[in-house]
Amino acid sequence: MKKENNIKILLTLIIILVHSCYLFASKKDDITFPNSKYLNEHTVRIPLKIVDHLLIIEAQIQNKKGNFIFDTGSETLILNSVHFPIKYKPLKKKGTTSGVLNTLDNPVEKRLKEFNLKHFSLKNKSSDVINLSHIEKSKKIKILGIIGYNILKDYEIFIDLYLNQITLTKVDKKGNKLFNKVYAEKIADSVSFKLKKHTIVVHSNVNGENLRFGLDTGAEYNQLNKNLNKKVYKLFLPKKRLMLQGASSKKIEVMSGTLIKLKLSETVFVGPMKTMITNLSKMNNAFGTNLDGIIGYEFLKRKRTIINYKKEKLYFINNPKFRM
Amino acid sequence: MKNTIKHIITICLVILSLHSFSQTKELKGYKIDGDEIVFTFDKRDYKRASKTLPFFGKFKNFEDIDIKSVGVSGNFNNWSMKNWKMKKVSENIYELRKKINNFSNNFTWEFKFVVNEYYWAEPSKKDINSIPASKDGRPLYVYNLKLFTSLHKENGNAKFKLKGYPNAKKVILSGTFNKWDERVFQMKKQGDDWVLNLELKPDIYEYKFIVDGDWISDPDNKNFKDNEHGTKNSILNISKKVTFNLYDCKEANEVILCGSFNNWNEDEIKMSKTQKGWTFSMLLKSGKHHYKYIVDGNWITDPFNSVKEFDENGNINSVIMIK
Repeated sequence: MKKENNIKILLTLIIILVHSCYLFASKKDDITFPNSKYLNEHTVRIPLKIVDHLLIIEAQIQNKKGNFIFDTGSETLILNSVHFPIKYKPLKKKGTTSGVLNTLDNPVEKRLKEFNLKHFSLKNKSSDVINLSHIEKSKKIKILGIIGYNILKDYEIFIDLYLNQITLTKVDKKGNKLFNKVYAEKIADSVSFKLKKHTIVVHSNVNGENLRFGLDTGAEYNQLNKNLNKKVYKLFLPKKRLMLQGASSKKIEVMSGTLIKLKLSETVFVGPMKTMITNLSKMNNAFGTNLDGIIGYEFLKRKRTIINYKKEKLYFINNPKFRM
Repeated sequence: MKNTIKHIITICLVILSLHSFSQTKELKGYKIDGDEIVFTFDKRDYKRASKTLPFFGKFKNFEDIDIKSVGVSGNFNNWSMKNWKMKKVSENIYELRKKINNFSNNFTWEFKFVVNEYYWAEPSKKDINSIPASKDGRPLYVYNLKLFTSLHKENGNAKFKLKGYPNAKKVILSGTFNKWDERVFQMKKQGDDWVLNLELKPDIYEYKFIVDGDWISDPDNKNFKDNEHGTKNSILNISKKVTFNLYDCKEANEVILCGSFNNWNEDEIKMSKTQKGWTFSMLLKSGKHHYKYIVDGNWITDPFNSVKEFDENGNINSVIMIK
């Protein structure tokens, strides 16, 4: 009997010890969203700032509060080495960040013990530590990092550029929301997508031609690959031949204009959208994708979009017709 | 020997003062006329031009160019060299008018003039709105011109005032509305105070004053936010007048408007009856507001507004966004 009691006490002590270690660890690496509204333990509404065409949210990690870019084009959470100095030797080198980061070299992976969204936490998430000072300089804001796919995949994500906010709702393994009273507005439509690694690939149609578009919240401009079927460019109104890099020593002549109509399904259309024709082969190689285009800010501005990674579905909520 | 040193110092001082006084005070390359941005190119303002590829980096004397066409090229048109053609309005001056609505407030606009679709007219670093051109953080050793869409307006909705500092020589207003520019938004002296009015869209802005090079927050504004430099940025929330209309419930005796903007006060805002229904106008701060109508004691969402949200208790409210 005494032996049993001793074992119980020992077990209790171990549990307390493990729990306290866990608490200590989580305190160090928690990410929370200050100034956000927690609707319930599974849902948070995070205000969104739009800087140029980047989506910026405020978050707090390792006692540092500040701006993070919300970028589904990034595979992992990225911390800015300017504000999170690298304490460890690189574990491995990666090269699979895109969007605003397509010029980065040698991101260093850093493992976060826990990523915590107030009451529920995501454990063992990896993050890259990269110097993002060039974005800070060009956008004139302090950027702590980038929130990417590995943080977002366990949530349903409503990107609402009308109300300037992002709603994250925890989903189960099948992608069902753990709480239902999240959207008071009607879901107007939906389309399926395929997840290629971390890239959302939407099968769509431009002027009868089937194309694959990547949806990337970090893409400041829509892009359309060059060398597509000529039929596609009939729905593309070229406005000008561009020197994309401005007064740079590396100028690329690209075409900018308007994509008149992009058809995502029989009922979901979007356009006209400002779009550039460019060469996506480098990005396709890096991501193992075969994309014909990328849709980002221009698309999200027109479509209030919900992303469910587990169900591989996009849902849409209508913009208001009547505005005060 | 001593005299030589004195001479050198004097010459240096003269050069320095010449340099600082020679900075142009007018914005170069554009002006704002009502709701239009007027790009203005005066060929006498430019001394050198750079070629497009493959001779980038080599400069040509501007006077040697036979000008056939002038265009505006910037990040607003993705640096098109061929599209935004200007009109010749006099022997030396070219103009192009664009609606200001085409330029969103929160973007950093940079531009240059392109001559004959081939030469970049190079601004001088002395131009008040010139900015070193760079690409991906790498310097290009030339300058672009910066464009600000925040309007200086006598009756602008954002009135900035710094009291005191009668002996200051120069006060600059710098904030998120001009991407923390440190040169262009010079405040005007009015008695002992410094003032500047801007026309800004509803939003939350951060700002500071730069008094003779020293950054200070607005001493008369109690709203501020800590910044990364360990000091405080002043906060300004721009409001907008909105009218709530309920084109319904004509038979009702009383309709109350309440929402997050008045802490859901059930007595404060009584709407006025009109022929069409009920109405009320008020100033609302930028951002999202929840609201509902109370029609003869019954709470309803706005039947004419499709935007709705749940609150923390599972109730549905109508939502208005001011931006």
